Amino acid sequence: MWENFSEALFTVLELKTILLMILGTAAGLIAGAIPGFTIAMAVILTLPFTFSMPPIQGLATMLGVFVGGLSGGLMSGMLTGIPGTPSSIATTFDGFPMTRSGKPGLALGLGVWSSFFGGIISAVALVLLAPQLADLGLEFGPWDYFSLVLFALTITASLAGENMLKGLIAGVVGLLVATIGEDDINGVARLNFWIETLESGFQFLPVLIGLFAFSQLLSDVKDRERAKKPLMSDTGSAVKVKHLQAIKIIFSQWKNLLRSSFIGIFVGILPAAGGSISNILAYDQAKKASKTPEKFGSGVPDGIIAPESSNNATAGGALIIMMALGIPGDIVAAVMLGALLIHDVVPSPTFITENAVIAYGIFIAFFIAHPMMICLQAVCLRGFLLITRVPMYLLAAVILAYCTIGVFALENSTDDLWTLLVFGVLGYAMRVLGFPLAPMILGVVLGNLAELNLSRAFASASDLNHFITSFVTRPWSAFFLLLAGFSFGFPWFQKERGKKKWTLVYIPLMAIVLSFPIFFMEGFVRPGLAALFAGWGIYELWKRRAGGWKLLVEDDHFAEMHE
Amino acid sequence: MAGYSKESRRLQTRKLIAKLAEPPRSYLVQRSKASLLDRSLERIALMAKINRDTICAIIILLAGGFFFWATFYIPDMQYESLGSEVWPRVILFLLFLLTTCYLFQSLKQGPDEAGEGGGLKGWIIRYQNALWCYGFFLLFLLTLDYLGMLIGGILFVFLTLTALGDRSPRNHAIHAAVAVISITFMWSVFTYGLKVILPQGEIFSAW
Repeated sequence: MWENFSEALFTVLELKTILLMILGTAAGLIAGAIPGFTIAMAVILTLPFTFSMPPIQGLATMLGVFVGGLSGGLMSGMLTGIPGTPSSIATTFDGFPMTRSGKPGLALGLGVWSSFFGGIISAVALVLLAPQLADLGLEFGPWDYFSLVLFALTITASLAGENMLKGLIAGVVGLLVATIGEDDINGVARLNFWIETLESGFQFLPVLIGLFAFSQLLSDVKDRERAKKPLMSDTGSAVKVKHLQAIKIIFSQWKNLLRSSFIGIFVGILPAAGGSISNILAYDQAKKASKTPEKFGSGVPDGIIAPESSNNATAGGALIIMMALGIPGDIVAAVMLGALLIHDVVPSPTFITENAVIAYGIFIAFFIAHPMMICLQAVCLRGFLLITRVPMYLLAAVILAYCTIGVFALENSTDDLWTLLVFGVLGYAMRVLGFPLAPMILGVVLGNLAELNLSRAFASASDLNHFITSFVTRPWSAFFLLLAGFSFGFPWFQKERGKKKWTLVYIPLMAIVLSFPIFFMEGFVRPGLAALFAGWGIYELWKRRAGGWKLLVEDDHFAEMHE
Repeated sequence: MAGYSKESRRLQTRKLIAKLAEPPRSYLVQRSKASLLDRSLERIALMAKINRDTICAIIILLAGGFFFWATFYIPDMQYESLGSEVWPRVILFLLFLLTTCYLFQSLKQGPDEAGEGGGLKGWIIRYQNALWCYGFFLLFLLTLDYLGMLIGGILFVFLTLTALGDRSPRNHAIHAAVAVISITFMWSVFTYGLKVILPQGEIFSAW
């Protein structure tokens, strides 16, 4: 273990890697500060540079961009009220009022240091949890893996809210795209429509860049007049960040910091649920837990600590599930998964043991990226914001050309550029028609994994009956299928919460139902946990029944915030 | 004679009254036109119910059908346990189910909201920036073998910037400078830094 750790440490601490990480973090901070420019896009654009690098170096650079991007959004959000990324939306609720009340230095300090501590907490969780989760993953059979993929797709679609049907369709279309070309199991060319270049299927990265980056850029310049104006005319006056004061306040609010970081880690572990959800969820919980919730929105430190610590912690959570099970926690993790695949490293439960040096390299780079982000933000704050004075159309055209060169560099093939165009058009059409892109991307990433496991399950089964029943008789598979079922109903639950009585039953019932498969798992710990889980569910049901199934009005925090 | 004439006059009067009571030929033509118009209006009203989600659902169903047809051309391997056509068919079945729900949902929701109209012209104006970008990108791809990545890239960025931005001599100069500097920089990074052989193009290689 120590040999692998020291090898990884030396690789990350090489001057070239450190310089690349500094560049990556700076690029992430700049990208995060630009409204409309998501972190995922910044990481996608970094990817072509990492093709020729060793895996650790490439991943360390991308992690720098990831961490920088998560923190970059807070700068523009606090100084101008326009969040740079969706991960910083809740930060502006209190960050901007605090800046306007004459404390921009404190607001930035709180944001930056909350990001730092949230990130470090999630890095610790990554180191501790990923190997444990990977061990758990080794128990998974093909049925369990297939059900896990199904759950990942369902929850991604359910996060599309009212567009769940469109989310599901997008996910299925993603799965279909993954079937085009040579079948991984039998080596048969299929659905290529007699086009020679389609025989090997679509490369994942041109599809991803086309769907996400190409379409995002065109959405950013859709409004002809807005595209010509600078992104932000007012980038704030000279600000001196108050580091010490901010650290003192954060330590005094340690409960909020821990709670928000754990929310971030949990949301990150959920497939495709990223910082855009965790920051609002953490803000909501901080408001509920506060003794003075009425002060939220007027510039209170808790309103900055919660979203900023949670959105950085999400990164660690997303990496946990990617490294342990090979399931990307969000689009950024999907890109990282793609980067690992380029280097012939396939993330799976055996990834940490078989590729220990790379795994430790990711842990170490994720740790180091955080102090780097703090230093860069302290030194170059004003410089990063200058980029937001550039009109969007200038950035869009140049980035589009850059995407093209990057995609070509992947395989030195012009076919990939045609793929980029086709999926660029498709991605833009999907955005216009209200189809979420995350389920489709996840469908493309997980399509082969799902088919491979379905095929393995079929081959392992003694007969058709055994093949089908194993999906419900195997505890992990049943657990994921039930979870998929509940995640399917989640949009309705969220919509009707506090209005319809059935929503009072939803969460306790979920706890009781999910405890069943856990109860049948091996050992004593998990059945014990299942009993506790079921007990809590029954107690909650009893409590709500005793209360006369009274609807709680306070459940409407989300709606308030959206307004 | 007088009787005849009286009778004949009465007959003529009746005929005249009948003729007058009869709708004129032009009126009949108008009436048939009106019913045609009614029918057309009814049809338009029906069409109006078909919003863009309905059209989208129909396109997905057609594309799904096309893919399903293609699954019959997947070679059948005798030795495998799960045929190569099974998984695509499972996916297509799911797609069919979901899209059918989407279709019914779209039919229920009625016509699109006003303000998105303007016909083809309005659509082109609304999406002109995206259309310019796609058009120039397509042009770039078609000419890549001749112009190469460097010249093609510079032209692509310059033309896109010119189409998206304001047109003035000063802006043209800025766009040209941005295009040349950015693409040359990226081309150099990839060619000399990352050792990627980018397409030279016939023009460049002739030099």
